[in-house]
Amino acid sequence: MISEREAAKYPFLKEATSLVETLNIKVEDLANPNYSRILDRGERRVSEAIIDGIVGNGVPDDLTELLSMPVAIMLVSAVGDRFLERRYAHAEAARAQKLLWSESEAFIAELAKRQFGWEIKYARRELDEQTYLFEVGFVDYLRNAGSFHEDKWKLVNRVLSGGRVLLTRMEVIRLLQVEVEDFVLGRVSKHIRVEIPETVQARVENISKLFEEHRRRISGAELPPEAVSEAFPPCIKHAFEGLLSGRRASHMERFALTSFLVNSGMDLEQILQLFVSVTDFDEQLTKYQIEHIAGLRGSRTRYTPPNCATMRTHGVCYNPDIYCKGVKHPLTYYKRRVQSIKGGEKTSLGITGSNHQGGI
Amino acid sequence: MSEDWGSIRFVKNQFRRFYEAKSKFVKAPTEILRREFGFLSFEGKTMIRHLSFNNEDQLRSAIVENTPAHIYYSSAYYKNPEAEMDKKCWLGADLVFDIDADHIDTACKEDHDNWICKSCGLEGRGRAPQTCSRCGKNSFEEEAWLCDRCLEAAKFEAQKLIDILIQDLGFTPLDLEVNFTGNRGYHVHVKAPMIHKLDQIGRREIVDYITGTGLKVEFHGFSRTRGGASTMADPGWRGRTARAVYDYLSEADEASIQGLKLSSQALKNILEEKSEILKVLREDHSSRILKYLDLKSLQALVEASIKKQASAIDTVVTTDLHRLIRLPNTLHGKTGFMAQRVNLDDLEDYDPLTRAIAFKGDRIRVMVKRAPKFRIGNEVLGPFKDEQTILPVAGAVFLLCRRAARVEG
Ligand SMILES: [Zn+2]
Ligand SMILES: [Zn+2]
Repeated sequence: MISEREAAKYPFLKEATSLVETLNIKVEDLANPNYSRILDRGERRVSEAIIDGIVGNGVPDDLTELLSMPVAIMLVSAVGDRFLERRYAHAEAARAQKLLWSESEAFIAELAKRQFGWEIKYARRELDEQTYLFEVGFVDYLRNAGSFHEDKWKLVNRVLSGGRVLLTRMEVIRLLQVEVEDFVLGRVSKHIRVEIPETVQARVENISKLFEEHRRRISGAELPPEAVSEAFPPCIKHAFEGLLSGRRASHMERFALTSFLVNSGMDLEQILQLFVSVTDFDEQLTKYQIEHIAGLRGSRTRYTPPNCATMRTHGVCYNPDIYCKGVKHPLTYYKRRVQSIKGGEKTSLGITGSNHQGGI
Repeated sequence: MSEDWGSIRFVKNQFRRFYEAKSKFVKAPTEILRREFGFLSFEGKTMIRHLSFNNEDQLRSAIVENTPAHIYYSSAYYKNPEAEMDKKCWLGADLVFDIDADHIDTACKEDHDNWICKSCGLEGRGRAPQTCSRCGKNSFEEEAWLCDRCLEAAKFEAQKLIDILIQDLGFTPLDLEVNFTGNRGYHVHVKAPMIHKLDQIGRREIVDYITGTGLKVEFHGFSRTRGGASTMADPGWRGRTARAVYDYLSEADEASIQGLKLSSQALKNILEEKSEILKVLREDHSSRILKYLDLKSLQALVEASIKKQASAIDTVVTTDLHRLIRLPNTLHGKTGFMAQRVNLDDLEDYDPLTRAIAFKGDRIRVMVKRAPKFRIGNEVLGPFKDEQTILPVAGAVFLLCRRAARVEG
């Protein structure tokens, strides 16, 4: 059995969950003023997730801290917003990652094995001045590294022998972060119907309100510096703002926007976040389509947005401005505008030279 | 009145007699209850899908009764294998690899394959071009034949694949099932439960690993110069890349090296100091090679070199989570050969054109439209062009299945 301290630090652990269960607290009990500290901390977990993107330091009382996570999950679940669920899961995982930094290798390996069923072994190996501390089964590796797109995470770029991938301490923690995120996301998106007491309902509304205040900032702020939104052509700007405001987009508009963002160097995960912030998008499907456009699926062609003529034909060309003159392609507009905004300095736009076009 | 090309009734009859005698050798795949089956008949053009069987006997009776031209089963496991696609409820899938001589560049294709442009009728040998040189269209009627060299090339790719699966991915020989496809290649199945739940992205990563796609030299010891021992004996792609470059430089002629996208300095160094470079690879850390080549040139050199080490699998099959794949020990309707389970230990000496011959016995008279030289067992037959001949039944069925002949008399 783990200590209350550990359970409070890692409330997603199986032992922590069963500890919560043995305490047998009912939802209706939460109306009792004795529990207000737990509710406070639970609500704060969520507000920290919304505002900072990471759940912050806990309260000194371990039991309060431990119980605040199921409460937070209940609150998030009650709001019922897909984007908030992801944001919260991400923030809990970020917290876990930070805490794992100060744990021993033995603890990390044990957690991966017992909690997530990993095949993992502590084994130190120096290679090209890099210290690898773990060997992880490739299936566990792929399940979690699949969402990363940097070259170094590709299986073909790892040292793989006997079914095990060599990983550094930092890499293992990064992969565990994905596990935690999936776990929390699974919990908050279950939407178990519970009768929430009135006093608690007020907190749900607080969160809902806070999230609406931040929704736009969160999705907008996640545009990386490589994507300069002032340089977007009017058609893309229109589609982008429409997306943020939750307006339904036509198929062509969405394709144009997605392929534009992919080519402007935006991270695929960020694009996905952006899209699921609009509630009627199916997450799996959206993920698939984004990856398809980015050339990770199907034909492996990375798509570029349609040219201006095609955009006009489909009614997606919107309010062309003076910079649209003489431009035949949204990406050309973007490239030129970025250059003039940045005063002609050389910028890496991440625009690929692919000349392929097409719909999904 | 003469028969249609292919003499379907005759062939189907041969197939039926085969299954009546040999269906007991058809093995049910593991977890038969969770598998979907598909039959493609001699007459119909569409596959009868969503079939499911309770046990091996039921499967065998259905085969004898229907005598399909092709018999497939799903690499996937479903809760309801007989339901429509969206109601099947996917539970997992084997990891499947398809190696087909179609995807391998063998020089002999010029001898035995040919194509006709569907729009203008232009003909040519080998594989069809991207676009027709006469009319610019890109739709062709292709005729691909199998030969010993193509089959050997496919087997070599299968052996490389198996090597990677065992050495790198850590599977045991018992996890693997190798089948001759009955036509121009091999299927390799990994049935270990640990990979059943692997999603498409994960399978894509495995495909990229096996084909060496997306490999970057800097992750395999070729980064900034370091000390240390040669990496040629190292595991995984780390050692394989070093060995690949070593082999390539030892064997490649000047022309093919010049064909690589190398900087002029790198090209000069390779041509003038090749033996020095090889010595570095043998004795020093692979990063030392950067003394002779810039990183970009090295990447180009590695990409050319690793083709020989990677395995030329069909990338689409492995990533398809709902693939139907040929059931071993059944007949291939385009050749009349058996799709056949091959023991891993026997693969080296396995000769499909002897071992996978299903029809033995009588010789029959056929009219042959066109066929290149081909072999059945020890007998070399053809080439034929618009002629009558008497062939062993396996050879006749082979040509009939390809619609290149018809039964006479
Ligand atoms: Zn033509
Ligand atoms: Zn050949």
